[in-house]
Amino acid sequence: MTYSIIARCPQSGRFGVGSTTFSIACGRRNESVRPNVGISKSQAFYLRYVDPLALNLLSQGFTPRQIMNTLAADDPDYDYRQFGIIDRENNVVAHTGPGCGKWAGHKVGPYYAAYGNGLAGPQTVEGIVNGFLRHPEKPLEYRLLEALEGGRDAGGQASNGKHRPERSAWIRVVDRLDNPQIDVRVDLHDKTVAELRRVLEEFKRCEQYYRERSLKPRDAVSEEEFVAGLNAKAA
Amino acid sequence: MTYTIIARCPRTGQFGLATASYSVAIGLYCDGAIRSNTGVTVTQGFPYPRNNRLAINLLAQGFTAQHALKQLAGSDPDFDYRQIGIVDRNANAVAHSGTKIGGWCGHRIGEGYVALGSTLTGQKVVDAIASRFAADAKGDLVDRLLSALEAGRDAGGIKGANGRLPERSVALVIYSKHDFNDIDIRVDLHDKAVDELRRIYEDYKPSIAYYDERARNPRNAIPAMEFADMLKNQQAKETT
Repeated sequence: MTYSIIARCPQSGRFGVGSTTFSIACGRRNESVRPNVGISKSQAFYLRYVDPLALNLLSQGFTPRQIMNTLAADDPDYDYRQFGIIDRENNVVAHTGPGCGKWAGHKVGPYYAAYGNGLAGPQTVEGIVNGFLRHPEKPLEYRLLEALEGGRDAGGQASNGKHRPERSAWIRVVDRLDNPQIDVRVDLHDKTVAELRRVLEEFKRCEQYYRERSLKPRDAVSEEEFVAGLNAKAA
Repeated sequence: MTYTIIARCPRTGQFGLATASYSVAIGLYCDGAIRSNTGVTVTQGFPYPRNNRLAINLLAQGFTAQHALKQLAGSDPDFDYRQIGIVDRNANAVAHSGTKIGGWCGHRIGEGYVALGSTLTGQKVVDAIASRFAADAKGDLVDRLLSALEAGRDAGGIKGANGRLPERSVALVIYSKHDFNDIDIRVDLHDKAVDELRRIYEDYKPSIAYYDERARNPRNAIPAMEFADMLKNQQAKETT
C-alpha cells in the first residue's frame, strides 16, 4: 500500500516525486529520480533494480511507452507491479497490475501520473490529482505536497475495509544539477503527511540560506545566527 | 554543526555513512556520497553540493582517496570552508578540515574510516565516534555506525555560541553491491534526532527481509498488513 505522484513542472521543467505509504522510510527510493532524464517510480511488489533500469533506458532514448513494453516482456510477475514513468518531453505512462490488490489504480495527466495500491478507492487517486491541480502557479514541491494531502483527505489507504495510516512520506525535486534541490522525508510517524508539511516548510525557510552558505561561504553568517534571526522575525 | 562517520566495512566491503546535524534535512547533503564498490565521501561545514559526486567519480576513474582530495582542493576557491572525508575501496581514508569553518572543527582517521565534525563541543566528540566505531571491527556496519553516532551525541555533540545545540536531523546510509542503497534512513527535523534514528531503525530492521522477499515472490507473499500485525504481536510477546 502506497500512493504517489510523479510530475514534470510545466513552468520550470523540474522533475518531482511525492510518495507516502504504510511501510517505513519510503524516501530511500532516491534511485527513482534522475535529473535531465526523468522519473521511474515503481511500487506494490516492486523490485529495486527496475527503476534504475528504466532510467537507463530513458537516457538511451527510449520512450516511456517502449520501456513499459520492455518491462512487461521481461517480468513473469508483471501483474504484481505498479509504476509510473515520465520523461522530459512529458511522455507519461503508468501501469497497475491486477495482482496489486484492492483498491489499486492510476490516473495519467498531461505532465503527471498519480497512482496507488491498497487504497480506500479511486477517490484517493482523484484526491491526489485534485490536490496537485489546485494551485498550478505554486512551486512543484508544494504542488506535490498538496497532492499527497489530497490523497490523504480523500481516504488514503485501506485494507479489509479498515483505514491504514501513512507512516512514511517523501518529496524530492530535481533541477538541472545532479544533486537534488528538495529532498524532505518523514520515515516513521503517526501523522506523516502533516509532519512532511512541517519539515518542508522549515526547509523552505532555510533553503536560500543553505544554498548561499555553500556557494559564498565567505559572506555567510553562522546557522545559529540565521535561525535566531528567522525566529525573531516570525515572533 | 554536523558530525559524521564514513566507513568501509572490512568484512563485507559495504560502504556506509552516519551523520547528525543542527541543520534541517542533512540527508539531502549526503546525496551521491556513496557508490557501491567505489567509495564513500562527505563534504560538510559549508557543504559544496557538487563535491560528493565529483569525489566518487574520481574514485571510480581510479584515483586514490588521497589524490581525489587534492583534486577537490584544486577545484574549489573556498576549500578553507569545507570539511571533507573520503574512503576508497582499498580502505584508504583521508580528511580535510578547513580552517575557516568556525567553532571546534576536526577529524580522526582510522583504517577504512573517518570521523569528522565541526562546531562541536571538542575533540572528545570525534574521538568518541572513532573509538566506538573501532571497538567492534567484526560487527555489522549499520550497528557500528549507529553506535558511533550515539557516542558522538553522548560525548557532547554540537555546540553553538550559547552552549549545546540539538541534533535536529540525521541520516544513515549503506550501500553493498547495487546502484541503489541497502539502507537509507533519515530524520529531517526533530528535537532528538539521534534517538529518533535508533527508534526508526529498530522498527525497520525486522521488515527488510520481508519486503525483499515479497517483491521476488509476489504470488506467495503474505499481505503487508498481515505481516505488520504479526510483527506487532511478536514484539508485544517479547516485551512482556
